[in-house]
Amino acid sequence: MKRHLIGVIAAGLTVTLGLAGCSKGSSSGGGGDSKTIRFVAAIYDDKTKSLWDSLIKTFEAQNKGYKVNLEMVDWTQMDAKVKTYVQTKQTPDILNYNAFADFARDGLLFPTSDVLSSQSSGDILPSFVDGDKYKGTQYGMPLLSSVRLFFYNKDVFKKAGIDAPPKTWDDVKADAQKIKDKDKGIFPLGLPLGAEESQAEFFMWAMNNGGGYVDPSGNWAIDSQANVDTVNYLKDLTKSGLTQPNPETTDRKDVFNEFAQGKVGMLNGAVFMPAGFINKVNAKLPYGIAPLPTKTGAAPSTLGVQDFLVAFKNDGGKKKDAVSKFLNFFYQTNNVANFQKEEGFLPVTKSAGAVISSAVPYDKPFVDALPSAKFYPTGNAAWGPLANTVKEKIGTAITAKDPKSVLSELQQTAQKNG
Amino acid sequence: MSTQIKSRQAGRGKPGGRPGSVNRGKPGSAGRARVAILAGVGYLVAFIFIAPYLEMALTALKPDRELTASPTTFLPKHWDFTNFVDVWKAAPIWQNMQVSLIVAGVATLIALLVALPAAYYTARNRFRGRGAFLLLVLVTQMFAPTALVIGIYREMVALNLTDTLLALILVNAAFNLPFCVWILHGYFSSIPKELEEAAYLDGAGKVTALTRVTLPLSLPGLVTAVIYTFIGAWNEYVVALTITSSPNRQPLTVAIPGFVTSYQAHWQYLFATSLIAIVPVVILFVCIERYLVGGLTAGGVK
Amino acid sequence: MHNTIEARGAGAKAPAPSSKSALRRFGRALAPLPWIGPAVILIVAVVLWPVFEMVRTSILRISSSGATIGTRGTGNYRDLFDETDLVAVLLRTVVWVVGVVLVTVVISLALGQLLNARFPGRRVVRWAVIVPWAASVLMTALTWKWMLNYYYGVVNKVLQGVGLIDHPVNWLSNPTQALIWMMWVAVFVSLPFTSFVILAGLQTIPEDVYEAARVDGAGRARTYFQITLPLLRPSLLVAAIINVINVFNSFPIIYAMTGGGPGSKTDTSTTFMYKLAFTGSGDVGESAAMAVVNFALILILVLLYLRAVGWRGETKS
Repeated sequence: MKRHLIGVIAAGLTVTLGLAGCSKGSSSGGGGDSKTIRFVAAIYDDKTKSLWDSLIKTFEAQNKGYKVNLEMVDWTQMDAKVKTYVQTKQTPDILNYNAFADFARDGLLFPTSDVLSSQSSGDILPSFVDGDKYKGTQYGMPLLSSVRLFFYNKDVFKKAGIDAPPKTWDDVKADAQKIKDKDKGIFPLGLPLGAEESQAEFFMWAMNNGGGYVDPSGNWAIDSQANVDTVNYLKDLTKSGLTQPNPETTDRKDVFNEFAQGKVGMLNGAVFMPAGFINKVNAKLPYGIAPLPTKTGAAPSTLGVQDFLVAFKNDGGKKKDAVSKFLNFFYQTNNVANFQKEEGFLPVTKSAGAVISSAVPYDKPFVDALPSAKFYPTGNAAWGPLANTVKEKIGTAITAKDPKSVLSELQQTAQKNG
Repeated sequence: MSTQIKSRQAGRGKPGGRPGSVNRGKPGSAGRARVAILAGVGYLVAFIFIAPYLEMALTALKPDRELTASPTTFLPKHWDFTNFVDVWKAAPIWQNMQVSLIVAGVATLIALLVALPAAYYTARNRFRGRGAFLLLVLVTQMFAPTALVIGIYREMVALNLTDTLLALILVNAAFNLPFCVWILHGYFSSIPKELEEAAYLDGAGKVTALTRVTLPLSLPGLVTAVIYTFIGAWNEYVVALTITSSPNRQPLTVAIPGFVTSYQAHWQYLFATSLIAIVPVVILFVCIERYLVGGLTAGGVK
Repeated sequence: MHNTIEARGAGAKAPAPSSKSALRRFGRALAPLPWIGPAVILIVAVVLWPVFEMVRTSILRISSSGATIGTRGTGNYRDLFDETDLVAVLLRTVVWVVGVVLVTVVISLALGQLLNARFPGRRVVRWAVIVPWAASVLMTALTWKWMLNYYYGVVNKVLQGVGLIDHPVNWLSNPTQALIWMMWVAVFVSLPFTSFVILAGLQTIPEDVYEAARVDGAGRARTYFQITLPLLRPSLLVAAIINVINVFNSFPIIYAMTGGGPGSKTDTSTTFMYKLAFTGSGDVGESAAMAVVNFALILILVLLYLRAVGWRGETKS
């Protein structure tokens, strides 16, 4: 038995060594050669990977010798991953992310003019370009954009005797109460303030109360009275049992999924909600789309989000040529338009806009809302660190005794980082 | 270190005749009732320990629709074995599994190869610096990679070893080394010198005496050291999370959570993969369980 | 720690070539090197270097993108002690460690007895108890997270079924409840190792001790508390200290189940340290300062442990 066991252990270790022998040697970054680039992309839905895969396949076929190593990362892990990559000097050559200014500040990025042809960069919609710049130089290239609108379940509203979507915050509360009185099994308002995407949810409510992250002159104003009032309003809704339980730990995907199941009355929804959530569960769900409600019923703003591609200057920039080739390939009208159409997001270039808006009627209200959209202060180097801190902490403001203390803490984080 | 050789035979052959056994009542109706109660409690405990993994298996066998149906059901309405196949196709699971195995296996091998001579020499010889060495081992036994993760990754950046298996192997080997040294040191100390001296008389050298006489006798200690290190490396999460970035160089622990994302929650895949990973290790444990108790006896007294 | 270096250098004074005895002394001093050298090198290079690197990092100014800008002196420590959550996190860490280790040891004492008792099917029970040890901690934590899910979790279903709760509870959202559940998971994964150490300890107790107790007419309880427990002390000590270290450094459970959230309301100092560097505002310097504080706590534990095992008497020749 003993001998037998030693044999087993020895065999096990031999197999392991054998595995080790045939496992690939390691290399850092995208490999040593200047024609191979590492591209870290975010997962938007089930299709994202195959879309990139086919684009890359085409690119590699058209450009012999060039190689793109694709790495898909989920948004919930993205922040930690990007932090780790940057801190451990493992930055990819191209990164798909939602912030860039702090990398630009530390000189890690190629300016857009170095890697994108003037034809492609001139095609970007003007409303996005401001958010792509750090201190007047463009570093970010928009990959896709999304606009948020208010979604409500028509059946739930009809049963509760409500005939129109809410326009003011008082309407929201009154309608929510009606829904609750009618059916205890429905969450009247979906309010995701968990760590996944709470910086967006908070901003949507705050901007429609005249608040937000910065004041009109661009200074941080997170602890403004308007924001405090916003948190107090949301706190009140939560306390009155008009939302799903524990907004502070609810992620966006949870309420989107519940909405798709018909269990949420209304919420701030995104352009990709039908493709990503509703159609999988119940394609016949009777939902309506409306502008976001505002505090007083004034003209509503909405949240516009653009996600970026940025190019890192790795190894002294020796991959510039390959990076540039791939980016220019991607920004060809058909490639970029197809990507955005398939993902159910909104176009970011003029030529793609022309292709898409005629093809997808569902997108119209979103495209129309774009001019009134407000964006994150992405050109500010403190935004990246701040957004991550907001995600973690804003939810605790609605459970805190004193919401203002949480907002003040966030204000300090913002000022500390520039 | 006051191990008894006797106790290492524990668990061989038929149960019973165990020193310190609780069941000392005379056989009779009272004794039978006691055994029945013990057995009942035992099976209940077994169920509690297995339950989460049963749930894991049941979830792994549910189709996507049933996962988010409420109210939830204990058993899948439709047993969906395709999840296991899908996982294999959907993600580089096999590669992650390989990484986990290589890291855990090679780290265990290195830790053992380095710990064995050190433990043996310190158990058999008195020399200058022996106390200092044992103190170093004892103190570093208290360090965990988690607490030092910032230092580890700064070091790996300095050495240009980020995103390599070598870094993971080194970290796992080094941090489990003290435990190996300690348990083997305890074991070797408990084996009478005379046995080796007899081998010397037959003209064997130090190394031969070690491999022929002492090692076979310290098998339980070896097994414990192997298991402890292997599981430690297999479980290691923080360092792997921090210093690997390429999907094909990530161990399972880092890769698996990727199934639950902002846009989809494939819990069934997550658990299917977990099961694929867990089952072999559980089987390994079950095979060597009898040695484990003996091995811990030596280490446990120290 | 520096005495190891000394030890290796011991006797490495330039040998007087004329004197044979000096040469022999020199050779004797070097004799252990091939045997213990590799272990020392590995420990120094992979365990002690990070300690040094961590302390060095804690006094550097590092930007959010990881570039080292300069030195900060004690600035990172000041930032750390200004964190509003720090005190709560440290207190929670104490509750976490003490609670998990105490409960683990108490349950393991009972489990050890059970696994040592004779009944049909004991082997199978032992195997079952091993399972959480063999399964990865992270995967176990994820399973529990899934079972505790508010919408689809099986825990709510079971508890409603037996009538303990009348409507589903969002367990992992309430920081207190979440912490209790996570402590349970930590206990759950610590039980196998601890029970087996205690089982091993029980098997070293010679039968004749119990014989003597029976002759004296001691009852079951008295035998247990006066004989078994004192004899288990060494095993208990080992089990307790290894658990304290493991539980203090327990990262995957909290990271997987709540991510320390909401905010930092379920963080322990270990997850808090990680989050300082890799999520939130990403301040590696401050995170390193937290790591140094953590490390100081561990060193205190080590010293207590050394006192407990009576280090002095153990390895003195």
